[in-house]
Amino acid sequence: MAEQSMSPEQLKALQEKIKNMSPEELREFQKKQCIFCQIISGKIQAKKIYEDEHAVAILDINPANPGHILLLTREHYSIMPQIPEDEISHIFMLAKSLSNSMLRSIDAQGTNIIVANGIAAGQRAQHFMVHIIPRKENDGVNFVLPQKTIEQGEIEQIGNKITASLAGGAEKPQETEIKMPMPAKQPEKKPDDSIKKKSEAKEQAKSGIDLDDISRLLGVK
Amino acid sequence: MAAKGGCIVCQIASGSIPSKKVYEDDFALAVLDVNGANPGHCFVLPKNHYPILEQVPDIEIGNLFNIANRVSTAIFESLGAQGTNIFVANGLPAGQTVAHFIINVIPRKENDGINLQWQPRQLSEEEMSTVELKVKEQVKNIGHFETEKKTPKAYAPKQAVLSDEEDEYFSKQLRRLP
Repeated sequence: MAEQSMSPEQLKALQEKIKNMSPEELREFQKKQCIFCQIISGKIQAKKIYEDEHAVAILDINPANPGHILLLTREHYSIMPQIPEDEISHIFMLAKSLSNSMLRSIDAQGTNIIVANGIAAGQRAQHFMVHIIPRKENDGVNFVLPQKTIEQGEIEQIGNKITASLAGGAEKPQETEIKMPMPAKQPEKKPDDSIKKKSEAKEQAKSGIDLDDISRLLGVK
Repeated sequence: MAAKGGCIVCQIASGSIPSKKVYEDDFALAVLDVNGANPGHCFVLPKNHYPILEQVPDIEIGNLFNIANRVSTAIFESLGAQGTNIFVANGLPAGQTVAHFIINVIPRKENDGINLQWQPRQLSEEEMSTVELKVKEQVKNIGHFETEKKTPKAYAPKQAVLSDEEDEYFSKQLRRLP
């Protein structure tokens, strides 16, 4: 299934096949190929932190920092614009709770919430997910957004375009315009050594953290 | 959590600092960033002053991220972006620069010089399990949200009622005096 294990002809045939699919067929196809759908259904093992009828949260096996959570929709969506409003609300209320849990359980001093829509934005899996990354000072993770100077004329013009598009109703973008990741290679199952020392884990984390302390660090009162 | 004088985002929300608005309702605003990472970089903000994510009420979180999603969709449609990022820096070590919760919505194109990637780390099975148990312990009680109130509008009258009761309480106390 993985593109790496295919001959160039097979890959080409697959790309051709995908190209000719209707959006419904494509979604069905993606669902079958999707590792995260298999994690959600339990076919592939993962460290599940939380689950309910709409969402599943797992630990990232290649985290930016220990405790890095992937919050997934139970339903297969490729990108955020496909998700209904009430699911968006639910997912991000969960993201807030999970972020809060990190501050309380693993001494995180902050969190990053990141969604990538499309390869150009850094999306690697074809299943919508919210990254919740626990942060500490000098942890080596660096998300600094460049600051460009955008001229007032351009701001006006772009703003008007976005406003017009927002007012034009909730039309979904054409999916063909957004490059999506190809089916990824399935990870090899790691041997499950479920008998492990749990003594460290018993050490209960202190939950005496103060949200105000975290916001106070930001300076402005 | 009313507007804070020193907060630049509150000043944008109140209009005392001019901005190009793309969306506005009673509780939230989406504006273009004049020093955006890319042209079309917007941020979505609650009008009330909440420094960090954890202080924003659940209902407002739902609304704010839905607005962010609509702005992201509009960026795809109207600017021909190849991708979008929804990005929140929560707390100083996470790169938050203003003490007012905001959601960044960033239009993306290939090779645009923005790097929101990280160096993947390999943790031992033991480290993973330790983290899993710690976080799970905290997560046990989540998932119950204030969904009964449809809009954050319900907050304002509640406050008024409270102060009325307080007045009544004091007047009752006064009447009890001999």
